[in-house]
Amino acid sequence: MINNSDNSIYGPYLPELEQVRTRLMDEIERIRTDLSDRLGMDPVEHCLSRIKTEESMREKCRRKGLPETVDSALFRIHDAIGIRVVAAFVSDVYRIRDLLSQVNGLRITEEKDYIRHAKPNGYRSLHLILLCDEKWYAEVQLRTISMDTWAALEHHMRYKKKISRNLPLIEAELKRCADELASTDLSMQTIRDMILEEETI
Amino acid sequence: MKLLLAEDTADLNRALTAILTHEGYDVTPCLDGAQAYSHILEDSYDAVILDIMMPKKDGMEVLRDMRSMHILTPVLMLTAKSEVDDRVAGLDAGADDYLTKPFAMKEFLARVRSLIRRRTNYGSSILTFGTLRLSADTFELACENSVRLSTREFELMQELILSAGRPLESKWLLDHIWASEPDADDETIWFYISYLRRKLTAVVSTACIEGEKGGSFTLKERSAL
Repeated sequence: MINNSDNSIYGPYLPELEQVRTRLMDEIERIRTDLSDRLGMDPVEHCLSRIKTEESMREKCRRKGLPETVDSALFRIHDAIGIRVVAAFVSDVYRIRDLLSQVNGLRITEEKDYIRHAKPNGYRSLHLILLCDEKWYAEVQLRTISMDTWAALEHHMRYKKKISRNLPLIEAELKRCADELASTDLSMQTIRDMILEEETI
Repeated sequence: MKLLLAEDTADLNRALTAILTHEGYDVTPCLDGAQAYSHILEDSYDAVILDIMMPKKDGMEVLRDMRSMHILTPVLMLTAKSEVDDRVAGLDAGADDYLTKPFAMKEFLARVRSLIRRRTNYGSSILTFGTLRLSADTFELACENSVRLSTREFELMQELILSAGRPLESKWLLDHIWASEPDADDETIWFYISYLRRKLTAVVSTACIEGEKGGSFTLKERSAL
């Protein structure tokens, strides 16, 4: 099945990956419209997608001890297509997950809930592996605005953090920031729910 | 453990210093109140032992001045006086304990230990309820996951854990936690109860808070309901 006419690790399948990516973004847009109508507010703050670059896919193959082949890139590694959905509130994250799992032709094959069990460094996100038409894999990362803020700022500091003498303290402080943001997220969610409750009374 | 000892009777001062040092404390002995007060301002101690009758500045003055400077180090007062009024005045001025001379060394050492124990327990306590942990140092609420609480949330969670299984009235909570906020009412409490309920779920705790808006609230294990 390997067709190396263009020497890409994705072989001739890049156009198909692009199609799957577009289709998934359309599905998320539909879910967004549907929830906006039902809740009276848009649950999605923003949504990004990418196809993993040639170089980082090859690097990931090497890191995982896999041969740098089309088979590895498409079927053994599952994030050639990556989508990040940033939602307003924690409950929206799970709502969007539920609706994604009901889309025809989509199946969730793996779920890692780093919101329920944050990573030791404080990272929070819901990671899903989707299987489209029983063939194409995509990774979807769902998180709230404040989880996204933390991840983005932590990423900015990652290099500087590693060369600091205070590494353990810096890591403990970043974890504290993550736990404070998570706490505020839950307070904001509670306030939103109380407003909704008042509206329905 | 650092102790400050202020006692103007030289023999007693030497004896107390020797026995406390023998017990492993790091003791700073002083012979008058002025000297003691300047040490208290410059250094920090785990506990302070003050004789009442002292030259230059008596023990009561040292105690009042340090409390007015917001120095909350535990204080044990020593005195020859055994009048009820003196003991009351000492305790009201912010002393944590009182010992009348002559006293047995054994009792003196026990009171010093108790003074330090109280402080340590308060300062670094981790309250627990089942698998739920609440840290007084960091305001961290933790079980399988963790979050950091705000000051009011922490105070409310602390009271709930301390009276776990027993109901806390809204009125009592307003008087104890929101005493400095006259505008706080049942609605305020309800917000904070709702925050804590959601945060208990978020850390995957099996504990829950029972109760309705305006009523009383009880911390329980979910399985026990």
